[in-house]
Amino acid sequence: MTGNIWLAVLWLLPFIGALPLLFFSGKKAGYACGRMAVFTAAAEFLLSLILAVNTFFNGGSTCAISGVMGFGLTFSMEGFNAVYLVILSFMWMTAVFFSPEYMRGHENLRRYYLFTLLTLGATAGVFLSADLITLFLFFEIMSFTSYVWVAQEETRGALRAAGTYLSVAVLGGMVMLMGMFLLYHLTGTLSIAELRAACAAVKERGVLFAAGLMMLVGFGAKAGMFPLHIWLPKAHPVAPAPASALLSGVLTKAGILGIILLCGSVLFGEERFGFLVLVLGVITMFLGAVLGVFSVDLKRTFACSSVSQVGFILTGLGALNLLPEKMLAIDGAFLHMVNHSLIKLVLFLLAGIVYKNLHSLDFNEIRGFGKGKPFFFAAYVSAALAIGGMPLFSGYISKTLLHEAIVESAHMYGGGTHTLLVAAEWIFLVSGGMTVAYMLKVFFVLFVDSPAAKHTHVRESENYVSNPVKCLLAVPAVLFAVFGMLPGITMQKIAGWAEPFFNGGAFLEGKDAVHYFSLGNLKGALISIVIGVFLYFVFVRRFLCEKEEGGMYYKNCIPVWLDLEDGIYRPLCCYLLPLLFEVPCRLADGLVSEKFFARILPFMLAVPCRILDKFVGGMVYVVNRTVFRQVREKEHVVMGDRLAYYAGSAADCISRIYRRVSKKGEKEGRSYVERFRDGEEKLSRTVRLVTRSVSYGLLLSCIGLLMTMLYLLME
Amino acid sequence: MEKYGILLPIVFPLVMGALLPLFPFRNKRGRNLYIELVTIATAAFAVWLIFHRPSEDFNVLNLAGNLEVKFHIDGLGMVFGGLVSFLWPLATLYAFEYMEHDTKDNVFFSFYTMTFGVTIGIAFSGNLMTMYMFYEMLTLVTMPLVMHGCSRKAILACRKYMTYSIGGAAFAFIGFIFVYRLGNTMDFTFGGVFSGVALGEKEALVKAVYVLAVLGFGVKAAIFPFYGWLPAVSVAPTPVTALLHAVAVVKAGAFAIIRITYYSFGAEFLQGSFAQYTVLVFAIATILFGSARAVKEPHLKRRLAYSTISNLSYIIFAALLMTPEGMVGSMMHIIAHAFIKITLFYCAGAILHCSGLEYVRDMAGLAKKMPYVCACFLAAGAGLIGVPPMAAFVSKWHIGTAAIASGDPLAIAGMFAVLFSAFCTAVYICGFVMRAFLPFSGEGDWKTKQACDPTWRMKLPLGILVYMIFTIGMFAKPLLAFLGRVASGGL
Repeated sequence: MTGNIWLAVLWLLPFIGALPLLFFSGKKAGYACGRMAVFTAAAEFLLSLILAVNTFFNGGSTCAISGVMGFGLTFSMEGFNAVYLVILSFMWMTAVFFSPEYMRGHENLRRYYLFTLLTLGATAGVFLSADLITLFLFFEIMSFTSYVWVAQEETRGALRAAGTYLSVAVLGGMVMLMGMFLLYHLTGTLSIAELRAACAAVKERGVLFAAGLMMLVGFGAKAGMFPLHIWLPKAHPVAPAPASALLSGVLTKAGILGIILLCGSVLFGEERFGFLVLVLGVITMFLGAVLGVFSVDLKRTFACSSVSQVGFILTGLGALNLLPEKMLAIDGAFLHMVNHSLIKLVLFLLAGIVYKNLHSLDFNEIRGFGKGKPFFFAAYVSAALAIGGMPLFSGYISKTLLHEAIVESAHMYGGGTHTLLVAAEWIFLVSGGMTVAYMLKVFFVLFVDSPAAKHTHVRESENYVSNPVKCLLAVPAVLFAVFGMLPGITMQKIAGWAEPFFNGGAFLEGKDAVHYFSLGNLKGALISIVIGVFLYFVFVRRFLCEKEEGGMYYKNCIPVWLDLEDGIYRPLCCYLLPLLFEVPCRLADGLVSEKFFARILPFMLAVPCRILDKFVGGMVYVVNRTVFRQVREKEHVVMGDRLAYYAGSAADCISRIYRRVSKKGEKEGRSYVERFRDGEEKLSRTVRLVTRSVSYGLLLSCIGLLMTMLYLLME
Repeated sequence: MEKYGILLPIVFPLVMGALLPLFPFRNKRGRNLYIELVTIATAAFAVWLIFHRPSEDFNVLNLAGNLEVKFHIDGLGMVFGGLVSFLWPLATLYAFEYMEHDTKDNVFFSFYTMTFGVTIGIAFSGNLMTMYMFYEMLTLVTMPLVMHGCSRKAILACRKYMTYSIGGAAFAFIGFIFVYRLGNTMDFTFGGVFSGVALGEKEALVKAVYVLAVLGFGVKAAIFPFYGWLPAVSVAPTPVTALLHAVAVVKAGAFAIIRITYYSFGAEFLQGSFAQYTVLVFAIATILFGSARAVKEPHLKRRLAYSTISNLSYIIFAALLMTPEGMVGSMMHIIAHAFIKITLFYCAGAILHCSGLEYVRDMAGLAKKMPYVCACFLAAGAGLIGVPPMAAFVSKWHIGTAAIASGDPLAIAGMFAVLFSAFCTAVYICGFVMRAFLPFSGEGDWKTKQACDPTWRMKLPLGILVYMIFTIGMFAKPLLAFLGRVASGGL
């Protein structure tokens, strides 16, 4: 191990901290595990804070562990990594602090804490990694360990969502791996620092582009990019709230991290790729926002919002490859990442507080929960204003930069591209408006609507959340305002640290200062807000709600069949593909089975063999039947008398002709030859009998006597 | 004298195994001790030989002409021999508990030990003749093991196994004849025996014969569509299915394919020819087929058997790339898959032994009863999927880079097949793991009530194997360097 050993400690710490959890058991195990997790997460936060401070004063550091998996692991900490590690460890700490009270009464606490810590270690590894192999290693570990979060509740819905999550993650990981194979083949290096130069030197741009696309699929799946976002709106509502906060706030950012590398290093300067990412980003942000407006479940709203915000970030990353002036795109994307992480932390933990008290997230059951809870109100409003892009809050700054980036890129191009980018700008503004609309919707649900009659809320009570969590949540909530009011000395500085990561390792030069509060920039934000307010009061309140006695009733208007996963992916994967593969396989399988060897093949071979075998015998048979056929005796036709025969034949002939003419009976009667013969025989027998008889003799004697007498008389 | 040593690990277990029924053992304890000692001694001999390789070949006898029975230990033989020697003693230890209640276990262990000798014989054989001889012997000596149950099902399975194996060997024999008639020598020579031979018009014929030979040996390696016997023989006792059908027999098939590709016909001779493409198509089809079938198979052991079919074709696919990188990937996957698959089979066997369950659908919530076994299954399963830093990730990485580096469109298509198969692997492994660890509430509890973790004799091999899966993955560098030397013909 060489270099700054503390970097390795940073990602190892949660893994080590997770070890004792394996040995806790008994009644108090959940409690002890919670303590251990809190302790580890806090230590992680402190350590990353110290390392970050060290990075800012003494410059970046690296660490290499050689020999692992035959490649070696490398880590580095530069401005970007430092900022994000501080953010993610802070988020983890907050989430873990909130976990014991949220998870009270739940089962399998040990598993939950164990995998929370393992995911922390893996995520830290992702954000520290200095080469793509290390990145992939921790990325995969992160996917598998975070699976347990989604499946934690063990309900049918949770397991289904978890299955979707894992499938998307694994499939994405595999495609990404293929992309990395190609990339490695083309460049011979996977070190992030060398990537930009190595990729710029690649001659086969088409193959490089293919590699970039495959990796985009992998990272995009984790980031929640359209059309791979399907897992996100399903996984977040079923996961425990602290885990949702981390899934949405940090794990999607791990995917974004990879896309940053693609846009900033691998395919740097490829306009087509920039467009692709931009268009996907625009679609993602619009669809996410639409789903958010329609949603009637608190966590689902926030999850859809995550999809939408990821779209905003992607738009910035796409613009990175279109603009000559990178600063707008980079600062916008990065600051929006930071903002979104922190905002989602606050929002999901607030959702967790709601769920913990009411055990429901349905808008119709949680109405009016926030009334009389000033801290809850302040935290929500701060986060909502930030995400809505209200001036003086942090979201405004990042959205302004992203907006500027699109506007600037629209100026760069003419013709159809220009129109496309102007359309993208308007979708951007409308999506911003929808963000305002769904945050307003949630605001009205929580703070304005009167509670459902059947519910008795935890009112006025200060017990709805513990004080440490309040303190931790207050930090980001206050930061949103501070960041938004003093962008020059806060956000601008932070973005400055992170720029080299986006820019292939080099600092940007010749930056123009952005006038955040100029009229032009304020106009964009105001358009969004006006659209949002208009949408809420005109569309949401009219079409998505119904007034009922106790207050508003929120309808779920999204039809069930309109689901990308159930409509396309699942049928495709579960029925169509298997069918396609199954038919040829079955055929081949049926052909070459034992039956084939035992029956069909012998039969096919037996036919010619039998033929050959029977050949000689057959010859004998044929000769027997032909040449050496036994001469048969001619059938003895009893002809009788010649006269009878001829007469009979003639009569036969006549009768045949007669029958044919008259068409009487088809049946041929006895031959006339026989009849005549019989008749003749009868006759001759009778004659014989007669001639032999005495009377015949007497008769003849009489006749003789008579003749003699006649002769005598005549004489 | 030294050269006779090479016979020791081959003949010793054969003789000791055959003599087993003659020893009057009072109880199973003594018999087990005897078997384990014989196995460990053989493994030790083999490992000692691998580290102190005799420099010259050893001609045992000359049958006719240059048909010799000849032993020689080269790089590939070292890999296979070492692997088998490492796994056999563990497998034997596991078999003791599994066969505890069996009445015919003496016969079983007798043949089980003899198989060890035959497998080492395949690894250490120095020419095609010797390998072919041991290859056929392997079929015969494993026959009683497959038929052990003597149920109708077992006998039918055994018949299937014999039909396929002997039929396949007949095809391989054609290749054997051609190498004998047309090649320089029968000995295994890195780079092939056809170098410098003017084949003229016969070249295409020889290549066609190579296809036949690969398919012939491929029957043991369960190439589609000659895989039918493998899922059928999962009726055999688990130690047999695990060791023979995830390690010894099927790996002997893959080993033989690598042998004839690189050491008899020669990679250079075959590269880019129709022969290579034909066999590659078979391998790719098998990769897809095996994993797709595994997804649909509800019987755990058969599911693993289909998984074996798919994974063996990773090995064959990598070997058929005919490049040194491909050969490294291939050998790495032989090792990685052997450790992983034997672990998985042992877990399946332990589940069958301890709970009597065979079908995945019945195993809901099993992890609460058998945490140790299920955890081992999880670890090995993650390894099989190729989750870094497990062993199979390293091998898949090398197969992938080799495929891409060869630049062949078919190879790249094959790589997609491998990755699709990896996804299927995730599906069929997780299908079990999820059910075991995260059942729907209350599902299947009544079926798993009786289950509990097995004793140390099953646990110890499992623990060691899981440890090895991690270690091989994490510290693959020296192993890869060694494999690199083998693949470049340096050993």
